[in-house]
Amino acid sequence: MFSGADRSLLRSLLSDPMGALGLALVLVFLAMALFAPWLAPADPVKLDVSQKFQPPSLTHWAGTDQLGRDLLSRIIYGARTALSIAVTSVGLAGLIGLLLGMIAGYGPRWLDALLVLLFDSLSSLPMILFALAVITVVGPGTATLILVVVIVSIPAYARLIRAQTLSLAGADFIQAERAMGAGPVRVLLRHLLPNVVGPLVILLSMDIPVVIMLEAGLSYLNLGVRPPTPSWGNILYDGYTSLRSAPYMVLIAGLPLVLSTLGFTFLGEGLRDALDPKLRHGVPR
Amino acid sequence: MSALLSIRDLSVDFALGSWLDIGARRQLNILTGISLDLAPGETLAIVGESGSGKTTLARAILGLQRTSGGTIRFEGAPLAAPSDFARVRRRTAMMFQDAVSSLSPRMAVGEAVTEPFAIHREPLTDRRQTARDLLAEVGLRPETASRFPHELSGGQARRVGVARALALRPALVIADEPTAGLDVSVQAEILNLMAELKDRLSLSYLIITHNLALVRHVADRIAVLYLGRLVETGPSETIFARPAHPYTKSLIAAEPIPDPRRRRADLAIKGEIPSILRRPSGCVFHTRCPIAQNRCRTEAPALRRGDPTHEFRCHFADI
Repeated sequence: MFSGADRSLLRSLLSDPMGALGLALVLVFLAMALFAPWLAPADPVKLDVSQKFQPPSLTHWAGTDQLGRDLLSRIIYGARTALSIAVTSVGLAGLIGLLLGMIAGYGPRWLDALLVLLFDSLSSLPMILFALAVITVVGPGTATLILVVVIVSIPAYARLIRAQTLSLAGADFIQAERAMGAGPVRVLLRHLLPNVVGPLVILLSMDIPVVIMLEAGLSYLNLGVRPPTPSWGNILYDGYTSLRSAPYMVLIAGLPLVLSTLGFTFLGEGLRDALDPKLRHGVPR
Repeated sequence: MSALLSIRDLSVDFALGSWLDIGARRQLNILTGISLDLAPGETLAIVGESGSGKTTLARAILGLQRTSGGTIRFEGAPLAAPSDFARVRRRTAMMFQDAVSSLSPRMAVGEAVTEPFAIHREPLTDRRQTARDLLAEVGLRPETASRFPHELSGGQARRVGVARALALRPALVIADEPTAGLDVSVQAEILNLMAELKDRLSLSYLIITHNLALVRHVADRIAVLYLGRLVETGPSETIFARPAHPYTKSLIAAEPIPDPRRRRADLAIKGEIPSILRRPSGCVFHTRCPIAQNRCRTEAPALRRGDPTHEFRCHFADI
């Protein structure tokens, strides 16, 4: 109520060209994901074998695949698949990691020891192998993918938050709050949360492309999203199998992967600079 | 006696080692046998070197540090249960040594100074106006309300600390090194401000410091702490005029006096404060004491009285 901190965060993010580019790319992909039915020129799963392997043209801006489906529409719907999985799983893992990390960092020491043991056990799971194992047991699909990412990502987020919380728990301002009579809930939510969440937001933004890649990779191997649901991974696989007849397919399916990865990474780095309160106000970089 | 704060035989121990080695943990004794009284409207200074336990004492009063013996009574009632500490934290305000870092870095000053109202669910009709009034009280401009801690100067941050301390009109203000890190003119401003507010709001101060010049100006009574033990307490004039304990004497003698012709007293303490891990036997001060004798190495001195208000722990002090 005493200042417009959020507006100045956006302004400082936009003043950094990389951050602005990252934000723009992320917004484009988010728009593709959210408004796919309105943006896509055709039905992504409608077959028209008479139109197969059409190179990019005015009717099919990105051409068609081996079954005559409009590739641009499949890419746009693929963004929906990729982002819904990535944002949901990273968001969920971030939220759980934030909660567990703050409890571990500010709670009693025995609880901390227990939670650290949990984080260590979880992070001993290698992501791809664990994903393959879970898929073998419960079968491929969106829910499986989200579950795997959440379980495997929690330790990294929780550790980051725990370390931040631990280093702040002894800080003067936390002591001052306690001396004024502030209870643990107020200390955690009003004073620790705003000061530990910055690095997590950066890490989350940088982890979204990792999950997009994982989803594409597993879908490429036919272990992720089931066809005919469009995914950048299975479009890439279709392109690979028809590399000789339609070489443009691989390029068109690879491009959104590259651009979304760059977008989220640039956004993460821009946020890192913008979230530092000491860099925010008029200090030249 | 209707003391505002009354401490009897307080001791604080820190446990050494990991919480896992149950039973085998060593206790590190930080404060032993502290007894102090603070009357309403009085300013008591706790003086001692770094590591003497001054800050631990303040933390113990507020329940931020677990005590291992003795009693603390605040406004007549003993402090034991968590609800007692909620009461003492409502009626007591603490000013920390580092004014900037004791403010929450992402909270605007206006919100920070009115936070005590929110913490204790005190009615607050107009938060902005209250913030401006509190800031005006400590001589800060209303625009300061929208600043963040890292945008403040040391003196401004100190004033914000005072404003926040006074928000709920406390009975007692604990000030840990209120002039640390400020240049001399700002130190004087802060001390004048604190004195003026004390008169207007009838506060009591517990000032924790190693700065004797500060003590001379503001304190009614002085308690000298050495390695976790009170070595001398008494009214400020008595202590400065007739210090009994050799440690107090050397502290006063070591105080810089702007007179080139005046010679430093030869009663100086030798060496550094011993590690609290290896506390000297007998009288804790004997390793550095200019008048130490064999008896001091084995026998801890009992409390002696110079007059009813003046107490000290020394075998050989002459009064």
